[in-house]
Amino acid sequence: MSALGEELREALGAESIVEHPPVEWDGHKLELTFRPPDGDRLAKGLALLSERGLAALVRGGGTRSHWGNRAERADLILSTEALTGIDTLDTEDGVVHVAAGTRLDEVRAAANSGGWELPLDPPGEGTTVGGALSAAAIGPRRLGFGPPRDCVLGLEVALASGERTRCGGRVMKNVTGYDLAKLYTGAFGTLGVIERAWLRLRPLPASLEVRVAEVPSSVDPFALTLELARRTTTRVAALVGPGPAERIGSGCLIEEGWVLVAEFAGDSPATERDLEWLEGRVDALPADADVVGGLRRIQGAPVAPPGLRARIAVLPSALPETCAGLEASDLELVVHPGLGLVYVESHADLDGSLGAVDGAAARGCGSAMYESLPSQARAGRDVFGASPDVVPLMRALKERFDPTGTLNPGRFAGGL
Amino acid sequence: MPSLVERLRSIVGDEACLARAEELFVYECDGLTLDPVRPSAVVLPRDTEQVASVVRACREFGQPFVPRGAGTGLSGGAHPTPGAVIVECSRMDRILEVDAGNRIARVQPGVVNADLSVAVATHGLFYAPDPSSQMACTIGGNVAENAGGPHTLKYGTTTNHVLALELVLPDGAVSRLGSATGFAPGYDLVGAVVGSEGTLGIVTEVTVRLTPIPEGVETLLGIFPDVVSACRAVGRVIRSGLVPAALEILDQRTIRAVEDSVYAAGLPRDAGAVLVAELDGAACALPAQVEKVRAIIGEEGASEVRVARDEQERALFWKARKGAFGAMGRLAPDLYVHDAVVPRAVLPEILATVCEIGDRHGVTLSNVFHAGDGNLHPNISFDRRDPDELRRVIAAGTEILEACVRVGGVITGEHGIGTEKRDFIGLVFNEADLDAMKRVRDAFNPDGVCNPGKIFPTTRFCVESNPKARGYDRVPLA
Ligand SMILES: Cc1cc2nc3c(=O)[nH]c(=O)nc-3n(C[C@H](O)[C@H](O)[C@H](O)COP(=O)(O)OP(=O)(O)OC[C@H]3O[C@@H](n4cnc5c(N)ncnc54)[C@H](O)[C@@H]3O)c2cc1C
Repeated sequence: MSALGEELREALGAESIVEHPPVEWDGHKLELTFRPPDGDRLAKGLALLSERGLAALVRGGGTRSHWGNRAERADLILSTEALTGIDTLDTEDGVVHVAAGTRLDEVRAAANSGGWELPLDPPGEGTTVGGALSAAAIGPRRLGFGPPRDCVLGLEVALASGERTRCGGRVMKNVTGYDLAKLYTGAFGTLGVIERAWLRLRPLPASLEVRVAEVPSSVDPFALTLELARRTTTRVAALVGPGPAERIGSGCLIEEGWVLVAEFAGDSPATERDLEWLEGRVDALPADADVVGGLRRIQGAPVAPPGLRARIAVLPSALPETCAGLEASDLELVVHPGLGLVYVESHADLDGSLGAVDGAAARGCGSAMYESLPSQARAGRDVFGASPDVVPLMRALKERFDPTGTLNPGRFAGGL
Repeated sequence: MPSLVERLRSIVGDEACLARAEELFVYECDGLTLDPVRPSAVVLPRDTEQVASVVRACREFGQPFVPRGAGTGLSGGAHPTPGAVIVECSRMDRILEVDAGNRIARVQPGVVNADLSVAVATHGLFYAPDPSSQMACTIGGNVAENAGGPHTLKYGTTTNHVLALELVLPDGAVSRLGSATGFAPGYDLVGAVVGSEGTLGIVTEVTVRLTPIPEGVETLLGIFPDVVSACRAVGRVIRSGLVPAALEILDQRTIRAVEDSVYAAGLPRDAGAVLVAELDGAACALPAQVEKVRAIIGEEGASEVRVARDEQERALFWKARKGAFGAMGRLAPDLYVHDAVVPRAVLPEILATVCEIGDRHGVTLSNVFHAGDGNLHPNISFDRRDPDELRRVIAAGTEILEACVRVGGVITGEHGIGTEKRDFIGLVFNEADLDAMKRVRDAFNPDGVCNPGKIFPTTRFCVESNPKARGYDRVPLA
């Protein structure tokens, strides 16, 4: 065991430190994983790392290790995988208190058995609660579920200083102090390590319907899908280009144009009415939730070099123009008109694809975030696309929460 | 060298800078009439540039500044500290853009909450956060307090409806946070500013999400023998899988105050409590939902369930709810509006505890609250000229907050900490938790010149705060 490993074992207990063959992460070879079994050890370890000026790359289920900017420094991996368990599932109130390393599918199953639903559906087998919240990761049901921040009622967070802190709580409404949970959600673990979360559940829908349809060329796909997205029970409303339509298992094989994937969830008179509405406009075929699962899967998998995947966000009204440019570049697209989101995937011509994505985001006055990008293209680039205007404020926050740059240094937006 | 007031006048104009004692009087406090403090001046800027210049002038003169909207806040968030300059945003009241296609609007902070919904109604849209003060309070004040309202249960609070902000930072720089797309890269700075009670800067523009007006609305009124059974009905509705738009309870004392006032809605004076339940959404789904709620209310002991037959009757049910605070003015000269939140499942027990505390201290306590969110408003009517009553009011209020925290609750759900509860925040958060919040404040507002004295405890946490220390004795009786 390395000298550092020995020292950490001594201070944090043998079970907290795992030595392993080198793992390559952003060009850093990491042979140690700090795997705290409880919050105390997590905090103690963070204090020690800060004191020693060491940098940790934080990992939950490891499903998003390919996200983010290249880490500036890294001495070891910090894994939350041993912080697991559902502490409370209150089926009267519809809330759950869960440790950060717990897998989402475990929380989802527990919630479902109590008649509730976890409104988080990010891609990635093995995604943990902490990872999903830190990355503010979303899936195809984002339209119906809302942003991840909406279901976070409270967090327990260990800071780089080694302080264990709480914010928010378990109640539905709370303005007791600053809303720090908003800051930690989506901060990519750069302000602190989420240890536990109170999440708000929502009632399981009484009825669930999935449909796929080829969009006829006589119909404006964006207008149709935007209108669909605004029906009361629509939870998924996506336009899927030819390549992805095949890969998600939609059963629709098209050469050009779009396949529409729709999911409705709610009370049956309302879902039926929305279904009728859709069936009045396109030939919609019943499908099962696997199609939505397919959308999620392709959204999560890293793309092999020289490929890339990016998420472009614009206002819904800017979508037709944004997509026109991208279609011309021969990229694979999945569009969520209700959200103004375009997922772009390419498997060749890296430079051309980068230019097309950046250009489309700029044309649509939006932003582009690269979720999967070959190493050489990540160097020197902010894959999050943060506006330079907000970087000074973000830096001021980072300096106050993690002055020694212990947590994921360089990986977040603005190179923080 | 010109004085600060001269300097401020040169920025906003003479008529938009108030500095005479009689002009400053109304700015000594907000809706919390405790601890009034005279500001040195009040400015009423019209645009972002004026706000930024005012901030820079205050810094030059070493004076703190306090943003203010309509002053309806109930926790002292807009209270000045001695010598502070109040930056009142009420003249920044323009709706700058309505983009109905994308369902967003860009507004100045002084726009009155209800005015925005009126302005966008022709597009079939509304602005969902609906504090009961919505006819007066401003979007800027709502952002600062993360205001909620009766319909928060389904639609969320202000934070769920704000996409982007323009903020004049405490050093006078102008920053744009968030994105109208709802997907801004980087830290969720908008999320941090919403609910920060004006301590991170002055909001000068807000981009909000607009919500479609629901196709159908049904409003029910359940009449209960007591407040505890009304709370049980709320719990059952929550567990039934429905997401009502609103679930609001008024207890007997509130009902009687309302019925004696101009807000009278024909509620039975001998009812122990009434529950207002509203369902909205796709019209075809509502009849079954109404039946479900009606059945639950009946099974939990309601003697009568009324379903509003038309818009007029619905307005009547809401008149009772929305007029409740006003009606309480009839009970006594002073009203202490409390605001705490508990897990919804413990509502029946906590209501019983709250009433027991009130009785034990011999105070006049009434409850009108957002039951669906577990957000209590125990209101204590009193006369501050009676020192013994005042002592009992404070003691009961403190005990109520402690009881709510004991069952997993918090000390404010929508009114904020301000000056009112800063010495109680230690009931919920320890030093390390508060220190994390201070890191945020210091990142935006490093020298604390923007709205000082709010949220964080001034002294060590002390629940023994006596009425004098809380300033009741210094408030002139209107
Ligand atoms: C009868 C009554 C009923 C109420 N009902 C509710 C309710 O149902 N739900 C609810 O949430 N609240 C309620 N309130 C409380 C109050 O109305 C809200 O807190 C409201 O959001 C305050 O808005 P305002 O414009 O009056 O702000 P003010 O009271 O003027 O200020 C409130 C806070 O906002 C800050 N602020 C104001 N403008 C800005 C700005 N431009 N930039 C930065 N900070 C700013 C101030 O510094 C202060 O901290 C009620 C109050 C009353 C009197």
